[in-house]
Order: sequence, then C-alpha cells, then structure tokens
Amino acid sequence: MKMKKWLVGLTTAMLVMSSMIGCSSSTPTSTNASEATAPPATEDKTPVTIQYWHAHDDDQKAALENMVQEFNKKYPWITVDTVFQGDYDTLQQKLQAAIAAKQVPAVTNIEVHALPQFADSGVLMDLTPYISRDKLDTNDFSEGMLKAYSYQDKQFGLPLIVSTSVMVYNKTMFDQEGVKPPQTWDEIEEFAKKLTKKDGNEVSRYAFSVPGWDTWYFDPWIENGGGAILSDDMKTAMIDQPDSMKFMKLFKDWKDKGYMHIGYGKGASGNMRQMFFDGKIGMVEHTSALIKWYIETAKFEVGVSFLPGDKKRNSHMGGASIAVMDGIKDNEKEAAWKFVQFMTGAENNIKWAEGTGYLPTRKSAISSEEGKAYFAKYPQYKAVFDNFDNVIGPPKSPAFNEASAAYEEAMGKMVLNGEDPETLLKDAAKKMNDILKDQ
Amino acid sequence: MSSEIKLTKHVPTKKRSLLNIKRRESTKDFLFALPALLLLAIFTYYPLVNSVFISFTDWNLIRPIKKFIGLTNYQNLLVDPEFYHVLKVTFLYTIIEVSLELLLGLGLAVLFNVTARSFGVMRSILFMPHYISMVVVSMVFVWIYNTDYGILNTVLKLFGASPVSWLNDPSTALWAVIIVAVWKGVGFTSLIFISGLRGIPIEYYEAASIDGAGKWKQFLKITLPLLSPTTLFLVITSFISSMQVFQSVNIMTNGGPLKATKVMVYWIYDLTFVQFKAGKGSALVIIFFFIIVLLTAIQFAISKKKVHYEG
Repeated sequence: MKMKKWLVGLTTAMLVMSSMIGCSSSTPTSTNASEATAPPATEDKTPVTIQYWHAHDDDQKAALENMVQEFNKKYPWITVDTVFQGDYDTLQQKLQAAIAAKQVPAVTNIEVHALPQFADSGVLMDLTPYISRDKLDTNDFSEGMLKAYSYQDKQFGLPLIVSTSVMVYNKTMFDQEGVKPPQTWDEIEEFAKKLTKKDGNEVSRYAFSVPGWDTWYFDPWIENGGGAILSDDMKTAMIDQPDSMKFMKLFKDWKDKGYMHIGYGKGASGNMRQMFFDGKIGMVEHTSALIKWYIETAKFEVGVSFLPGDKKRNSHMGGASIAVMDGIKDNEKEAAWKFVQFMTGAENNIKWAEGTGYLPTRKSAISSEEGKAYFAKYPQYKAVFDNFDNVIGPPKSPAFNEASAAYEEAMGKMVLNGEDPETLLKDAAKKMNDILKDQ
Repeated sequence: MSSEIKLTKHVPTKKRSLLNIKRRESTKDFLFALPALLLLAIFTYYPLVNSVFISFTDWNLIRPIKKFIGLTNYQNLLVDPEFYHVLKVTFLYTIIEVSLELLLGLGLAVLFNVTARSFGVMRSILFMPHYISMVVVSMVFVWIYNTDYGILNTVLKLFGASPVSWLNDPSTALWAVIIVAVWKGVGFTSLIFISGLRGIPIEYYEAASIDGAGKWKQFLKITLPLLSPTTLFLVITSFISSMQVFQSVNIMTNGGPLKATKVMVYWIYDLTFVQFKAGKGSALVIIFFFIIVLLTAIQFAISKKKVHYEG
C-alpha cells in the first residue's frame, strides 16, 4: 500500500512537470540565444536575492556559512539564500522537478557525472562568455578539474566540491613490515606478497582493497593500463580492448591469490573501512574527501598515496561543480556569477578546502603561504597535488551513467562468481554499445 | 375558477418538488464526494493519463522538448531481456512474500485467537512492526544482515555456521528482502485473520465436535472456508502492495547484487529519475499497470468460484 503512495508521487511529479511545460515543444532553449556574448558588466547595486541549492552536509555547514558571510561583506546588496537539498541524487531529483516547474534556484551543485545530461538539455547557463568578459584566469585552475565541467567546449560550471580517489594506507603497519605503497602496477605483486597474511586458506590480512561497488574507483585503472572506457567521440565502448581489460585480469589474479579485497554491493563501503581500521586490510582506495576522517578515526598513523600507474597514472575526479541555472532573470544571473566566482576564487580556496575536506582547486592558492601551512598540517594531501593535473573528469556522455552500469555488473560477476574477465567485459561492451546507439 | 386552477396546478407541483428534492439530494451527495474526486482526478487520473502521453515520447525529464516517437519505448522494453528478468524477480518476490505472509499470518492468528490479557500484549507486539516506517526497518536490517559485523551472522557463528553475505550474495538477497517485508507485514495480516476468526459463529464448531470432527478437520472444513472472504481481501491487497515493493529494495540492495533484487518499481524509478529516461520509464509504468489490473481481475474471477460468503 505504501508503494501506491509512491506511485502517486511519481505520477504527481509528472503531472506537475507536464502541466508546467505542457506541449511547449516549440519553445526554444534560451541558452542558444545568450551563448555568444554576456551582457556588459553593470554597477547595478539594487538588492537581489539568489538561492543556492547545495549538498554540503552538517559538518561542512560552518565553512559554507563563513563563505557566504565573506561574500556579503564584499557584495552587501546580494543576499544568498542557501538551501540544503540532501545528497547529490536527492538534489538532482529536486532540480529535475524545479526545472520542469520553471522555478529554478540561481546557483546549484551539479554532480560531475550528471553534468553532460544537464548541459546537453540546455538548462545550465554557459559561463564561457562571462569568463572571457571578466577575464577570469582559468589557467589557475587545475586543468583536469576545470575540463570536467565543460561540455562541448563550453564551461557550464566551476569546480567547487572536488575529490579524487586515492590510496589510504596504514603507515604504522607498512613501517613495521618494511613496505612502501606501490607507485606502479609492477610493484604491486611484490608489495602484496609481503603484506598479505593467511591462516591456512583463510586470508586474515589483505594487502589492499579497491572498491567494486562504484565504477568511479576502477575507471582510472582501465585508463592507466592504457585502455579507455569510451572512444573519443563517446559513441563506442572501448572496455573490450586488450589494454582496457588488463586491469580486471590482474584484479582477478590478485584476488585469487588473496592479495586483494574487492568490496561489492550495499554496505561494502562500511565493511571496507572497518576492515581497514581493524588491520585486516593494509591499504584501501577511497575518496580523498574522507582523508581527514581516516586520519582522525584510525588508531594508527595514516598515509596517502596516489593511485599506482602503468601506462598512465590518472585518478578520476568526483564531487560537484557550482553552476548557474539558465532560467533566471538577468540581474540574478549577474549576482549568481559573482557568487560562483567568489566560491571558487583563489583567496578563500584553502580555507574552503580545510573546512570541507575537499581539495583545493587553484594553483596560486596551493603555492601561497596559506597553502604551505595547509600541507604542513596535512602532509597526506601532498600525494594528490604532486599529481594535480592527472586528476581528470569521467567520460562526458549523457549516456555514461546508464552505460557504466554494464561494466559495473561485470565487476560484480567477477567478484561474486569468479567469472572470466574477458568474457564479462566483451559482453558488457556489447550492452554499452546498444545503450550508446540509443542516444 | 381560480380555485380550480389551483387544484389542477397542485398535483404536478407536488411531483416536481419530489423530483427536485431527489435531484437536490443527489447534487448534495455529489458535492460531498467532490473534494475527494477532485483530488483523485488531479493526483491520480490526470497523471496516469499524462504518463500515457509521456510514454510515447523520448522526454528526458529536463529538456523542454518532448519528441513523439510512437511505440518505440514499448517495443524496446518488450524485446529487452532485462524486462523479463525484472518481471521474474517481481513475481518471485510477490509470490513468496504473499504466501509466507498469509501462511504465517493465519498460523499466528489461530495461535493468538485467545482472549487472555497476556495474549493481547503479545498481539500488540506482533503488530508493532506495522507502525514502523519501512525506511527505518530497512536501515536497521541492513545492519542486522551485515556480513562481517551484523547480529545475524554473529548469532549464526555461535552455532558454528559460516557467515553469509545476506545482502551481497545474489542467491540470498531476494530472500533477505522478502523476510523483512514478511516480518513487517505479518502482524497486520494476522490481525485481519483474527477478526475473521472472531466472525465465525462458535455453534459451527460445537456442532462439528458433537458430530465427532477433530480439531484439524474443523479447521479444514469450517475455519478455512469461512475465512475465504478475509483471505481474498488479504491476497489482493498484499499482492498489489508486494508487486509495488520499492523502499526496502532502494535502501537495502539498490536492486543488486547483480540485479537479483531488481523489481519493477525500482527499475521505473531508476530509469526515470537516475537515467533521465522519463519516456521509457512511463512506458514501463503503463505496461506494469496493465499487468497488475489483469492479474487482479484473474484473482477476482478465480475467487468467484472459491470464496465462500456466509449468509
């Protein structure tokens, strides 16, 4: 009976959306009209209120409030109304409804994998003309981070909430055993052999763990082996290419030898962390957003290393951008753009990173005195910034989310049933090609 | 003369006023029903009709343009092996869940159909899970089922069993989700069964025992047939709600592992709100709607022969 309510909810949502939009198939998207030039900068100081829909949870709230206060000192005529909308998925669903109802917030977070979908639908404001009008120095951003929020050569958001996957390791254990985190794939075998412990056939300590529950964690492994997920034109799956399949074959081998733990399914993330804290796993791949949490929670010393590389040494970017919605008034757009610039600006970049646990995005901020102090306090972040430009965005196809489900399933079948990686990935590529063709 | 006219006029006026009263009464009835009808129309019927419209388009939920693509969504769904997999999982879930819930509910109802104070307390305990939100229940069970740190495996370990990855193993995940639903639903089922049991006149049992029928025979020949209207009600309501299971799957498994718990409504949600395929999602809504209507109709048809209404 409960579900009936849910279905009503679903249909209601559709009702609301459709009644607002109606059969307005002739309405052109206004993005196209405004993309060439931005309106000239104005000195208009009439009070304006903008809404910022965000996904910053409670322990990041102080950092956000602090930023808004600082912003208000600089621009007293702009009021920023911050609204917490839940996690990325929930925020995205609320945004979908808001777009359909034409009641959008001025500024919002857009999750990195969802950006192509929103950008492709023409609901985000193209920031490119504003960037060139105000001569924003985009070279100061990490190149990969900035590119992750462009779509078809237009910038639709700026990196604000930035994380990447890193190797978090038990430094105390590593020092005792005399091992160092592997930097290349070739070093993994020897490293793992030293660290793995077995009780008969039972593995009592895994050398390392890579999450299998979300492709985000093993996507860079596909690329680092010399392969690719999708072709450059985003039309063909590439995961059935020999170089792309290399990682999963190695994973299976390492897993069979008891070196490697791969978490899959619901609750796997919690388990992996607990096993790491219990000393049952020596090193885990996880998001950099949790580095501080790992340091504070673990009873041992925690170290951080970048993902080991082979032909390449990439790590994928996670998190969300700060973006401006297209369906708002011009004066709101101007205020929203000011807010976006302020939030991603170099002057508060380190403070923001420290308050939220996300990564700094500005080169000038990292090399500043404040940045040096930050690295002295958290030397663990150094590993990430030594590879700053290797942090890249996921493939930019609106179909990526759907297509990635196919090879996530392949990983699951390898982990749970021990099936053959080559067969699995070839099947997955076929499924992905069908999905990509539909686009 | 004037009085004559009055007389002749008198008769039709009376008739008309009677008619008027009737009409006024029915208008009044209608007006009372109107608020509910209006809500139904706005929040149920119109959206339903509208999702039929959306199902013929390629709408992606946020693009202002909806392109009409005819039956393509339906065609794609009906040739997709995933559709049949999801249908199979949904049916498996429903059949096992409804049978378990009804059998256990009936068993408990017979057991608890005693008027003693302690049984009243136990009945309330049994009914308690019904009050708890499915979201809360699911989150608690995620921990109970946890492979390495869950209480279920800890208890199993005491008996020497090796730990089971309840939610992460494709062969157990569906059962794990079903057990939660049964645990939550069985109190309600048994409560309805108890009220059904109370409705059976005690004289039947007295007569049967005089004729020498044992307890088991009494149960088979009196209790079961006379409970059939209650059973029908429960079968149909729990069938429909089981077919539409969503919250527990969304929280406990996300349809996994390896699509082992991917049920219909979860897929609809996933297609529409996660993958932005509102057109395909709506087509699935319509197909699923007809499947449920058809199956409910079949249940009613069968029940006409089998259900025994007393009096």
